[in-house]
Amino acid sequence: MTVIRRSITVGILVCLGGWYAACAPTKTVRVEDVRVTSVTAADIQKMVHDSGAKAVLVNMWATWCGPCRAEFPDLVSVAHQYQGQGLKVLLVSADVEAELPAVKKFLADRGVEFPAYLKAEKDQAFIDGMGNQWTGALPATFLYDGSGKLRDFWEGEATFSVFTQKVVKVLGEPIKPTGGTP
Amino acid sequence: MKSNSFWTLIVSLSLAGSAFGLTIGDKAPDTAVKMKNVDGKEVSIADVTGKNGTLVIFSCNHCPFAKAWQERIAAIGNSGKDKGVGVIVINSNDPTDYPEDNYAEMQKRAQKLGFTFPYVVDATSDVARAFNATRTPEAFLFDKDGKLVYHGAIDDSQDASAVKDHFLQDAITASTAGQTVANKETKFVGCGIKFRAKT
Repeated sequence: MTVIRRSITVGILVCLGGWYAACAPTKTVRVEDVRVTSVTAADIQKMVHDSGAKAVLVNMWATWCGPCRAEFPDLVSVAHQYQGQGLKVLLVSADVEAELPAVKKFLADRGVEFPAYLKAEKDQAFIDGMGNQWTGALPATFLYDGSGKLRDFWEGEATFSVFTQKVVKVLGEPIKPTGGTP
Repeated sequence: MKSNSFWTLIVSLSLAGSAFGLTIGDKAPDTAVKMKNVDGKEVSIADVTGKNGTLVIFSCNHCPFAKAWQERIAAIGNSGKDKGVGVIVINSNDPTDYPEDNYAEMQKRAQKLGFTFPYVVDATSDVARAFNATRTPEAFLFDKDGKLVYHGAIDDSQDASAVKDHFLQDAITASTAGQTVANKETKFVGCGIKFRAKT
């Protein structure tokens, strides 16, 4: 009976988390406040290893990529919800540099107030630098643990619940939505 | 430590399948599968095989990257006949969420670009799965013996005027001349193939 009650409680929390992600208002961020830094794969790897976070999620996306745009609100919700619990999210745009204004507007419209990044090297070097599991398809998500070890990777669109389950597993904590305050 | 090793193993195993489909030297899979061409006829990879090789490109209509390379794909594809290289372009995307990838739009695109080679529908996306193709546009070049000699990008720049390395064109030139392809595999950022659900 206790197990059933606990399962129901966890289920409600997950549902509430999902409801929050779906219904939470997007933070208001001005385009001029969006911070985007050009990076190489080596820069990303260094940030992952030096993060001091319990988990680091790296998401490769582009403004022209439909599935990337579709999953973005859920991704930002996960970032806001779990940053306070040790998650660091690195959003890396694969757009060309000329699209930087569009990248910044996209990020502002979706309430990304934390630092974001833009790919700044040739595709081959960038993809190889991220490890041999990535084919180059977008979106692609890498999930590292606190020691910088790759714990999960997938290509293609994910939902709030998928992001949450994978992140929580690496954080090693029970599902505990915090109301979205980073 | 054991836990970390376990995770590394699990991630490595789960990633191996997605990252390393066909390898250089492999034969093309699913060559007998008939796919509907924009002219209404059913065509397979085997049907287009050329005496000097076969070029299979996974592409589509909607992807901005596929669009960026579509004129170059048309040029390379249309010149294949002169080189004895059979060419087929396969659209494996599910058009449900991307109507621009439906059959009628494919017909319009092929006509607009003047394709003289088949542009076909992979109606189950299983041909892409068999190739382990993941992006558009993604090229596979097989030599006269049917062995994979090049896999990857068309060239090194989305901007046609900035291209420095013509990977696919150079591979065709080398392969049809009986020479070794210098750059056998290249990687590029592209749209993921929008696979239909497995049946």
